[in-house]
Amino acid sequence: MYALEKVDKRFPGVHALKAVDFHVNRGEIVGLVGENGAGKSTLMKVIYGAHQPDGGRIAIDGRAVRFQNPRQAMDHGIGMVFQEQSLIANLTVMENIFLGFERQFTAYGVIDWRAMAAAARTELAKVRLDIDPATITSRLSFAQRQLVELAKVLTIEGRVDGDLVILLDEPTSVLARAEVELLFGIVRDLTKRASFIFVSHRMDEVLELSDRIYVMKDGAVVDVVDRADADADAIQHKMVGREVDKEYYREQKQKPHGGEVLASFEGVSLEGAFEDISFELRAGEVLCLVGTEGSGREAILRALYGLRRPTSGTVTVKGRPVTRFTARDGVGRGIGYLPRERKVEGIVAGMNVHENMTLAQLPKYSVGGVLRVAAERRMARDWIDRLGIKTPSERTDCAGLSGGNQQKVVLAKWRSGGSDIFLLDHPTRGLDIGAKEDVYEMIREMSDAGAGILLVADTLEEAIGLGHTILVIKDGRFRKRFDGTPGRKPSLYDLLHHMI
Amino acid sequence: MFERLKPHFPWITLFALAGIVGAANPSFFNPGGLALLVSDIVPLFIMALGMTFAIYIGGIDLSVQQIANMVTVIATVFLAPLGIGVAVVAIAAGLAFGAAAGFVTSRMYVPSFVSTLALGFVALSIAKWLSGQRALSMDAAMREESFAWMFGVTAGVPHEMVIAAALLAFAWFLQSRTRFGRALKAVGAGELAAVASGIGVDRVKIAAFAISGAFAAIAGLMFSVKLSGGDANLANGFLLLAIVAVLVGGTPLTGGVGGVLNTAVGTLIVMVIRAAMVYLEIDATQQQMVFGLVLIAAIALTIDRSKLRGVVK
Repeated sequence: MYALEKVDKRFPGVHALKAVDFHVNRGEIVGLVGENGAGKSTLMKVIYGAHQPDGGRIAIDGRAVRFQNPRQAMDHGIGMVFQEQSLIANLTVMENIFLGFERQFTAYGVIDWRAMAAAARTELAKVRLDIDPATITSRLSFAQRQLVELAKVLTIEGRVDGDLVILLDEPTSVLARAEVELLFGIVRDLTKRASFIFVSHRMDEVLELSDRIYVMKDGAVVDVVDRADADADAIQHKMVGREVDKEYYREQKQKPHGGEVLASFEGVSLEGAFEDISFELRAGEVLCLVGTEGSGREAILRALYGLRRPTSGTVTVKGRPVTRFTARDGVGRGIGYLPRERKVEGIVAGMNVHENMTLAQLPKYSVGGVLRVAAERRMARDWIDRLGIKTPSERTDCAGLSGGNQQKVVLAKWRSGGSDIFLLDHPTRGLDIGAKEDVYEMIREMSDAGAGILLVADTLEEAIGLGHTILVIKDGRFRKRFDGTPGRKPSLYDLLHHMI
Repeated sequence: MFERLKPHFPWITLFALAGIVGAANPSFFNPGGLALLVSDIVPLFIMALGMTFAIYIGGIDLSVQQIANMVTVIATVFLAPLGIGVAVVAIAAGLAFGAAAGFVTSRMYVPSFVSTLALGFVALSIAKWLSGQRALSMDAAMREESFAWMFGVTAGVPHEMVIAAALLAFAWFLQSRTRFGRALKAVGAGELAAVASGIGVDRVKIAAFAISGAFAAIAGLMFSVKLSGGDANLANGFLLLAIVAVLVGGTPLTGGVGGVLNTAVGTLIVMVIRAAMVYLEIDATQQQMVFGLVLIAAIALTIDRSKLRGVVK
């Protein structure tokens, strides 16, 4: 029904899509998987009209089409449910659903709100959402908003004669398991009216929902598997070009730790983020905080570092209770923070490698306020070698480095300053497999060297693989502690059970 | 290609404009006349130099013109009792106003365009109150004794140019060779990363606005001595040109790139445009129309749209 034939797309320096053949049958759910940078998002953008292909052909029911923009794609029945919620929080649900399509309810520029509400109810019923269409969107839960997005896309149905193709980009990333079940149920029901393209990095969910799965690697479709033949390991193998197994997380390198306590929380609360959290982080330990999005893990890291002030409880670092909560004090206590938003809080784009590395240690690299640039550059060259950072020189702008190398620059910033407590928030987010392995290697190395590491991992597998200790946090509260000694590590299910 | 050329736009523009003006009117390159043009623009240049620090961190300082106005009055009123010491008072006043704007911006979360606009009116009001709304003249003998050195000529080089060069060198050193300069760059290019690295971002911002205020005061002082008087409206017309000088020099409103050398080039561009308008006999009343449009063009060309994330209000 909907087909891409030999579609090509190039960007300066990147061949993003290489002769991609892709088709969706009526009522089918097609999965799309691939590592970051494999070309999934480019393919999605070509499908919903945000990018125009350089070569090849797009056909609907055999007829060639060309979209200049997403609106034209919508007019042909193709809609996109965005991963980052695209709803406007201070508008009502119905205003969001019909945003840009209000004309059907207007007479002389005045909107008939009743008619819109009635129409919105019909759309909401399609996704089994029983809420007042006049509700302000910000009051809804994430799961509800996701469904409203879906309802919004489904309004295409009323405007198009042909069949619908709906793209779901990581729709489950912020949902709890029960909500995922609900969404999947709705999607399966809706296959009577629409076909779906489902993009997710959660392999188990792709296997569960999809009829057929496209596997992408380096801009090309490397395999198409039917549900019946689908096997997670085989697909992962195709995605990365090698097996992913226990070796991956360097479990064999995990050594027992028995160090002194470097940092501790005693009944620490931060209003609106977490409550009554206690833990001890010891030298050589990798302590993983596990929980869903918004469970308060990030705030715990930021409170320990000094970027947020707890409302009550005692934070102790190296035997001393913390009274001043600023990042500067955190740095002074030997804490290194690797934030989740690497490009926003991690590196300063526009500053070069050595400037980024010394940013937290400027007093050390200056005399009387005047910089010792030669010393900075010497240190930077040393760390470029030690961590194998791929950069033309220490004077290259960090914005031009790959994600993995940027992450190494951030780690070098703290390691060169002698930090021995590391707070790592999603350190492997957005990195390719090779760069992830480098990060795992470095985490092991730092823990061997006696550093204490508080880790919010990107995936549960990562937390299980890397952690000496795993704490499950739910809704800002401590739920369960797991021992992460190899051989005794908890299963995914153990963790999920307490998370959601 | 465009992105690679972008950093070179300011000086290419300067040479192209100077070439055009020179071709139309060869007397433009007459050294004596050129030196006069350059000397004339020195107070504006000093103001723009200070403003560069405010814009470099992604802010703006709209109070500079009013600080300069206030300083012309302070300098004129207190020259007689204080002599050259009036320079200290003037610069301290500019520093204080700038620091206050920085404090209001960083600690009270008032955007700098509002905090500096508001404090600018405070400065203007002080100028009006202190001058009694009259145009005051300096004590000629005291002026001669304390500040004649500012406007001498040694070996054919006007002292104003030497002062400008010295301040440029100082500003460049501050920006490129000091801890403060590095922190300034971090705040301009990635404030949140600077915060997460333990940089005292508030102090950096306060210092940047204080420098802007102090330089505005120096500009006002020079201008006042040059015209031998003070008046709450004396420096009017400086603000737009100072912003144009920084922006056409290649320091975008979004901050983080460019710097004081860019502002030197930008000021020269302003100078050439001004000279061109004189040759073209564009009336003084119409010149600000041109600069207003140049400013918009300069901002549109230099602003970093990726930093704005598509939102401009």
